[in-house]
Amino acid sequence: MCKGGGANLRSLFHATMLKTKLAALLLFCSFVCGAVASDETVTRQKLVQAILSSGDEQQKLLSELADDNSKIVHDTLLSWTRDEIYLCETANGGAKIPVLLEEQQDAEGKARAIRIDDGKYLADEKGAELHFDSSDLNTLDTDMRLRSAVQQTLDLLALADPNRDARRDVVQKLGKSQKKQYLPVLQARLGKETDAGVKKAIFVAVATINLGDADPSAKIAAINQLAKLNSIGSLDDLQRAANSQNADVAKSAEAAIKSINGYLSAVNFFGTIFRGISLGSILLVVALGLAITFGLMGIINMAHGEMIAIGAYTCYFVESVFGTGFTFRIVMPFSIGGHAPGFGATIPGLHASGWFYETYFLFAIPLSFVMAALAGLALERTVIQFLYRRPLESLLATWGVSLILQQCFRLVFGANNVQVNSPRWLLGNFTLNDVILGYNRLFVIAFAVLIVIGTWLLLTKTPLGLLIRAVMQNRNMAACMGVRTARVNMLTFAFGSGLAGLAGAFLSQIGNVGPSLGQSYIVDSFMTVVVGGVGNIVGCIYSALGIGTADQVLQQVFGSPVVGKITVLICIILFLQWKPSGLFAARSRSLEG
Amino acid sequence: MFFKTQKLNQVASLGRAISTTTLMKKFIRSFSAVTLAAFTLNAAPVLHAEDTVKVGILHSLSGTMAISETSLRDILLYTFDEINKSGGVMGKKIEPVIVDGASNWPLFAEKAKQLLEEDKVACVFGCWTSVSRKSVLPVFEKDNGLLFYPVQYEGEELSKNIFYTAEAVNQQATPAVDYLLAQGKKKFYLIGTDYVYPQTTNLILFKYLQLHGVPVENIGGGLRKDDSGKVISAGKYTPFGHTDYQQIVSDIKEFAASGDACVINTINGDSNVPFFKEIAAAGLTPASCPVVSFSLAEDELRALPTKDLVGELGCWTYFMSLKSPENKSFLAKWNDWLKTENYPGVVKEKRAVDSPMVLSYDGVYLWKKAVEKAGSFDVDKVRTALESGEINFAGPGGKTTMQANHHTVKNVYIGSTLANGQFKILKTFPEVKGEPFLLKGLDEQLEKKTAAN
Repeated sequence: MCKGGGANLRSLFHATMLKTKLAALLLFCSFVCGAVASDETVTRQKLVQAILSSGDEQQKLLSELADDNSKIVHDTLLSWTRDEIYLCETANGGAKIPVLLEEQQDAEGKARAIRIDDGKYLADEKGAELHFDSSDLNTLDTDMRLRSAVQQTLDLLALADPNRDARRDVVQKLGKSQKKQYLPVLQARLGKETDAGVKKAIFVAVATINLGDADPSAKIAAINQLAKLNSIGSLDDLQRAANSQNADVAKSAEAAIKSINGYLSAVNFFGTIFRGISLGSILLVVALGLAITFGLMGIINMAHGEMIAIGAYTCYFVESVFGTGFTFRIVMPFSIGGHAPGFGATIPGLHASGWFYETYFLFAIPLSFVMAALAGLALERTVIQFLYRRPLESLLATWGVSLILQQCFRLVFGANNVQVNSPRWLLGNFTLNDVILGYNRLFVIAFAVLIVIGTWLLLTKTPLGLLIRAVMQNRNMAACMGVRTARVNMLTFAFGSGLAGLAGAFLSQIGNVGPSLGQSYIVDSFMTVVVGGVGNIVGCIYSALGIGTADQVLQQVFGSPVVGKITVLICIILFLQWKPSGLFAARSRSLEG
Repeated sequence: MFFKTQKLNQVASLGRAISTTTLMKKFIRSFSAVTLAAFTLNAAPVLHAEDTVKVGILHSLSGTMAISETSLRDILLYTFDEINKSGGVMGKKIEPVIVDGASNWPLFAEKAKQLLEEDKVACVFGCWTSVSRKSVLPVFEKDNGLLFYPVQYEGEELSKNIFYTAEAVNQQATPAVDYLLAQGKKKFYLIGTDYVYPQTTNLILFKYLQLHGVPVENIGGGLRKDDSGKVISAGKYTPFGHTDYQQIVSDIKEFAASGDACVINTINGDSNVPFFKEIAAAGLTPASCPVVSFSLAEDELRALPTKDLVGELGCWTYFMSLKSPENKSFLAKWNDWLKTENYPGVVKEKRAVDSPMVLSYDGVYLWKKAVEKAGSFDVDKVRTALESGEINFAGPGGKTTMQANHHTVKNVYIGSTLANGQFKILKTFPEVKGEPFLLKGLDEQLEKKTAAN
């Protein structure tokens, strides 16, 4: 009994404690909510006041709103600049109620109106929500002066935007206006700013505003400051200063232009080198697979481009599965009784979002390799294994296979290009002294390095690599030594195709994914392999980077991508006249035979 | 998934070509499936000759242009159905004669000849590329035919046998520039694919911008001059299918560094994907440096990663997102037709409607009204009616009126791209009069302006 009573007591005690805790929690919650709510109400009231007032009072209220960095203010003002604030006079006995219309529309194209004063839907006396067509309502009258005041408030709010690009844009805009009134705001922001790029933009903006000063000595100080900051964006302003009446100002502006132009050519030089390396990396990634199937094995594989496309489509497939799902339907190109027979399948999507969705590419990369390798394996077993000693026939047969594969892509994925959304971590850039290093470009360079290292490890450090090299050097001798050459051939070809698949996965992030994707890269691939020297992977690396850099440099020199490319091709023709076997001539019996 | 039927059409046209010889007919009969496809395609409703009027559809249903032009065949078939259901043209039902230009420009001329001389059609709706139009032009002039051309083009052409429902340069490019100038843009970078439409449009814009006070050094992309120093080409050009835009985008970035810059994009086709990916990677945002594109409509956006394009601008005389009652009922009826129609090769899923399609639709109605005004199908009488300036049609994009200069008066809209591939309409220029010849007038105005200074 006693024991039982103790238990009861304890449980009673627990229950009371729990209740107290709960009550405290509730109280705390309501307190927080109340605080938030009252803050929001005040803001909303301010907004409504600003909307309904006029003249100088309106300007004053608007400038006060710039201190209130809440989402409601931002969204409402943005709608204001777009003329999306409406005044409703129908409800509530003719009083003007500022409202926004909801994005979501009903079947008649009407939408619910959101009251700006309390954030609730506008309702009639009985409490039923009202629906409006935007053309039925009166837009808030906004003249040019008011519009610029609203825009100014928005700009000041944007200074605290979480996105650094948005902050940088608005800082630049404030600077360009050359209005002294922004100086304190910009200085205040400088104290809080953490991003180096935005900080530099603020310095430039302050100097640009000072450039508009009437005093020549202040002008010269600003010019020197801009020169010190190497501000490329100020060249136009400096040019204007260089044309000024004051000789001292003109002189220092010219000196500043000269120094910035010098900096600019350095930026262009390094930028071109970087772009050259990135283009070279793409060529390398695309050609490496071919360097193995064509270079080492001696098969002229015209379907190499389609192996790339398989990789790219695999990436699309994985992205679709992570997103909304993948559906395909193959319809026969004829109809029986008015209906075209066909079949199809639907793979439901995971509807992933956030970081999980962003990782799709990490799953897509290995899968691209596997899919392309499997396709290569099938191609080798069904076609190529019969044509090892007949290179010309292999050219024709693989050309046929490439056409068949292209048509398959059309049937399954459609003749149009498909959309592949890049994961967020591949977007954006890293700017180093005005040289833009795009994340996707940095990624391709790293990707190329990894693939080259992987291939090198496979060929030199694994038993399979040893067998591959043996078979490639002398197939008959290797066979005599007991190597199963057919099997090695099969695996080598699959590996080469898999590398092409990896290239495709990457290409899906920077360009189009469509049935003719492979066609646009096949010529470049062969060019890279031939220039590098057939049968030599190191040569392939040199030639890819060489062609890539030459292309970008010549494009920069001639100012036209076409002339640049033509010059590169002419150089390659001349080079091959001089060294027909490429940069690094490989000596292998399989090629000579 | 979007399934295109180029092969089907190839099979069909093959079937039609060889079905003339009896030997081949025997051959075909053994492949019943192929014949079936061929015959379903030819099986337009055969009515008594007096009750029908033959109208030609001349588009590429195979080859590279099929992706775009098949949509125009579909909308034309729909329009004919709609007219036939409401009593036809002057009591006669429209009987479509569909021929395939196969993205082959000389073939377009041959097919036009076939339509005019053998089928004796009253009118032809067709062509997409300027080169196909130039190829059929002499045929239409020789045989005195009537062609309605629906796709935005560069102007500088006026044939008495062609009516251009298409956007002229002053109904797309110059309103877009007006809009950007009003937004306070001061620097304009011109970039396009290297062929006649972008070259001519950019040359017009180059002069137009100068006329509006934009100095030459603020027009980016480079200039090409002839021996006498006259500018013959303005802007940066890349070939069809170009993929590497690194250098050009870094050039744009430098150009835009001083602020208030924008890009005028006449790149055609899928080169837009690497271009916009590069623009996004370089941190050029629509807020700091917007891109306005003249070749990207709703139909093209379906195949582009729209995420990279949100906020970028477009300018057309029709947007699918227009809220007019005409547009709403048009879209509803078109979707109903898609559901019920079993015409081979008409894709039913994920269809978008865009400006060239609506301008094809408008063209048919303008022709119908002109025929009714003229009281005859005779080409000369219909032309006189069309040139009278009284023929107009309240289409999905707003009222369209045919003018004496064979171009139309219609609304022009500026829109910004949304993530769902539609446009949000930012500005409307009401009733803009299409004008084909702009270069000469601009040259004269520029001369006057320099003389005045």
